[in-house]
Amino acid sequence: MQIGMGPRGVLNRRHFLRNVTAGGLALGGLSFTDMVSLNASELKRRGMSCILLWMQGGPSQFETFDPKPGHANGGETKAIATNVPGTQISENLPHLARIADQLAIVRSLSTKEGEHQRASYMMHTSYIPTATVRYPTLGAVVAKELADQAASELPSFVRIGNVGIGAGNEGGLLGQKFNAYPIQDGNRPPENTRPTTEEDRYRRRLTLLDRLEEAAPGEAVARRADHESLYNQASRFVLSPSMSSFDISNEPESVRKAYGIGASSADAGRPAPNGLRIQQGQFAAGCLLARRLIESGVTFVEVAMGNWDTHQDNFDLSRRLCEQIDQPFAALVEDLRQRGRLDKTLVIWMGEFGRTPRINPRGGRDHHPQSFSAVLAGGGMQVGQVVGATDAGGERVVERPINEKDLFQTIYQTLGVNAKKEYMSAIGRPIAIVDGGSPVDELLG
Amino acid sequence: MKSSRTCWLVLVGLVTSFNAAVVADSAQAEYNTASSQQSTGEVSRRIDESLTGELGFDKPEIKSHLAPRTDDQTFLRRVYLDLAGELPTPTEVSLFALDTAADKRAKLVERLLADPRYGRNWARFWRDVIMYRRADDRALIAAASAERFLAENLNENKHWDEIVRGFLTGLGNISEKGTTALIMAQQADASNIASEVSRIFLGVQISCAQCHDHPYDPWKREQFHQFAAFFPRVSLRPVLVNGQQRGFEVASVTREPFQGRPAAFRGSMEHYMPDLKDPASRGTLMTPIFFATGEKLETGVADLDRRGQLADWMTSPKNVLFAKALVNRVWGELAGEGFYEPVDDMGPGRKATAPQTLDYLAQQFAAHQYDLKWLFRTIMATDTYQRASRPRRSPNDTPFLANTSYRVRSDVLYDNLAQALGFPRQGEVSGNPYGGGQQRFLNQGRYQFSLTFGYDPSERRENVASSIPQTLILMNSRQWGQAVSAQSGGALAQMLSDVRDDEQLVGELYLRFLAREPNDAEINICLEHVKSSERRSDGFEDIVWTLLNRSELLYRN
Repeated sequence: MQIGMGPRGVLNRRHFLRNVTAGGLALGGLSFTDMVSLNASELKRRGMSCILLWMQGGPSQFETFDPKPGHANGGETKAIATNVPGTQISENLPHLARIADQLAIVRSLSTKEGEHQRASYMMHTSYIPTATVRYPTLGAVVAKELADQAASELPSFVRIGNVGIGAGNEGGLLGQKFNAYPIQDGNRPPENTRPTTEEDRYRRRLTLLDRLEEAAPGEAVARRADHESLYNQASRFVLSPSMSSFDISNEPESVRKAYGIGASSADAGRPAPNGLRIQQGQFAAGCLLARRLIESGVTFVEVAMGNWDTHQDNFDLSRRLCEQIDQPFAALVEDLRQRGRLDKTLVIWMGEFGRTPRINPRGGRDHHPQSFSAVLAGGGMQVGQVVGATDAGGERVVERPINEKDLFQTIYQTLGVNAKKEYMSAIGRPIAIVDGGSPVDELLG
Repeated sequence: MKSSRTCWLVLVGLVTSFNAAVVADSAQAEYNTASSQQSTGEVSRRIDESLTGELGFDKPEIKSHLAPRTDDQTFLRRVYLDLAGELPTPTEVSLFALDTAADKRAKLVERLLADPRYGRNWARFWRDVIMYRRADDRALIAAASAERFLAENLNENKHWDEIVRGFLTGLGNISEKGTTALIMAQQADASNIASEVSRIFLGVQISCAQCHDHPYDPWKREQFHQFAAFFPRVSLRPVLVNGQQRGFEVASVTREPFQGRPAAFRGSMEHYMPDLKDPASRGTLMTPIFFATGEKLETGVADLDRRGQLADWMTSPKNVLFAKALVNRVWGELAGEGFYEPVDDMGPGRKATAPQTLDYLAQQFAAHQYDLKWLFRTIMATDTYQRASRPRRSPNDTPFLANTSYRVRSDVLYDNLAQALGFPRQGEVSGNPYGGGQQRFLNQGRYQFSLTFGYDPSERRENVASSIPQTLILMNSRQWGQAVSAQSGGALAQMLSDVRDDEQLVGELYLRFLAREPNDAEINICLEHVKSSERRSDGFEDIVWTLLNRSELLYRN
């Protein structure tokens, strides 16, 4: 069977809507996904994808990947051995300790931004916020540079987790088209994707809309074409068989269990000292959903988790937060590896900044951008190693300092994005994807 | 700096310094405000003449492309959206069509300028201009008070210089004093305030000069930092009530603060230009100098004296940028395209599409003491405003041959949907001050809606695109599914029982959603659809659903 598919997508838009609305995805009952696979060579995505596990608030490096047992600054947190000889991480992360050979632990991040909003923006864009330019977030850049938008009816940049307003959602100067497609909670299907009527009536409505748009007075032809294209895309999305990718209940119980979904600790639902509730299991659902979406052709997924701002009761709170991330993060890496997708999927774990070596009178740690950790996995990274080091008390970086620009250079290089490429701002000013910094060779191998 | 192109301004080889250009320009073009005031009708007529002269509308090959004067229905909807920020009611549509008075268009404009919805609508516009480029989301606490301040002042027709003076000299609790919004949005950072004041009120983006100074850049780094030197003593402080933080206030610094304060306590006695080679050092002490006119203060002047003096200089007819920036923006909203695009970038390397016309209108605006209602009245009386609309022209086409259609702002769409679907509006500021601060504002349906439908009004409108999440909300939102339903006892149920004639009901629905009568083709398609539906109510539910999803609803023509 001959199916016309150009580089700009399947068929012509108008025909597509006609076919959709005519009932049943046309062309002999083939689903869109089937058609894509028929033309796999033509529509092949460039292959790389990325998952960002975003830790809002700034996790403590001492209680995660850079413990300092035996030093006063280390507090009560103990270290445990990992499956990489000589590398220890915090006892809060036993699952990750067992797969440390799949992780590249960076202990020498060092930036100059210790304020939440600004740091969050900077660690999403590699730029500090300025009044006149809205820099695109990591996901927007990756989606723009790597996604073949025509190849999937799903959005190419999805952000999971309700961590309120803030950086991480915006296409910025790339335009709204590259804003994140937001999902509040990985346990629930995305909002507004279910028609409010039966499917055949919904199709009837789409046909009516199409006819009425065409009959409207006025000369706004260009505008109608855009509108139509958007409605085609949106209805294709809503009616797509791939919509089931968003439903993690389709996963076998064993997989859900591996991610720790359904597991519940004694602390479940207990409010954190900072007044917010740790959303039990939401991060786990987000990780599993991220894997499903990447497999379905989504290029960039951000899974966001809040509450890391441990100004008081740092040890208790960090332990509970780590419980939420340890198993799902490890399961995600393992799952991707077993499915043969890890080499093509870069997984990044990071937050806004680190936390102070000094333990404050409320048993908390404050903001400390001078030295903190991040973790990279998959995506061709040199794993099973620790890059950089802090001094004995974790006060500052003593080996291989890496700033936000170096980190973004590294991320883009491994994904195959040219970080030197320039976008135009609204006033015609060229903005490099990353301005300065250099890739960390130790990570790229 | 590493990249010599990071901050870059057109025209390689432009060696004239902007300062010199502006000084020379203002020497000739300083607006004479005493004797040159002309009547509204006269100004409108001369704008049309001036555009015809500058753009060649009288040449046959161009004249044939001029859009005709728009019909009454489109005009009514356009003026309503532009001034009141919402649609006319079906009754108003009929009354306007039936009115045979020759001056009914001018009267309509007059009526809406006197309607409190005018102030509310433009308050929301300026609120977005100021808040969209905030450095910090906490600044949103100031959104409600800013909107309230603007709505009151615009409705009282406080002139533009007075309103801008308010934003330049804002002080006090940000939840109460709307004039603090710009300072709050920029975290009281002198450099960021300077960038935004220049961009928003002067249409000049000098922020590039913050770190660069190279041969092709018309602004010197010094000029940027001299301008920033009007704002060092602005600081942002937490407001404490019984030891608990209750928001923020903008305050003046009166003595050198302690070292090592957190960023929220910004402010210092003087502004220093950082030394790029030695970022740790304090840098060079800067004297406050206004780059557009060269007027200067000494260091050591108290905070409000600095800012007040700057307000005087900025709003003086000597500074032609002030009137031009506002005129360019308002023209951009009303004609659908500014003389400069984007509207906040009128820098020296840029060319206006019709510079003499802009200059003439700006001069008249200054001569009318920056009277905003005068400006609306004047622009809305021009042929250019009253032409039928077209989609955005391609760059090579002559501008202003037609009015330009563009996406309505989020607030306008929200109000139109609330009105048409009959759901209660939220987020009404006037008469009911928020008080509850950020959380209450953010939880409002109106604000939530704006997270999906909002855009920065300074953005080029051609870049304001629709998105999939927007489309999904319009198609599948449960809330609106309910509102659309004939079973819910809502607006449609009422109409189904009140209006028994199908054709008439189609007409009512079109009036309600699109403020126009359906054409024959639309009526036929709708009637046919109702006939082929299982129940009459099903058919009309589907029609309402399509009206909700029409591109027309999203655009101002």
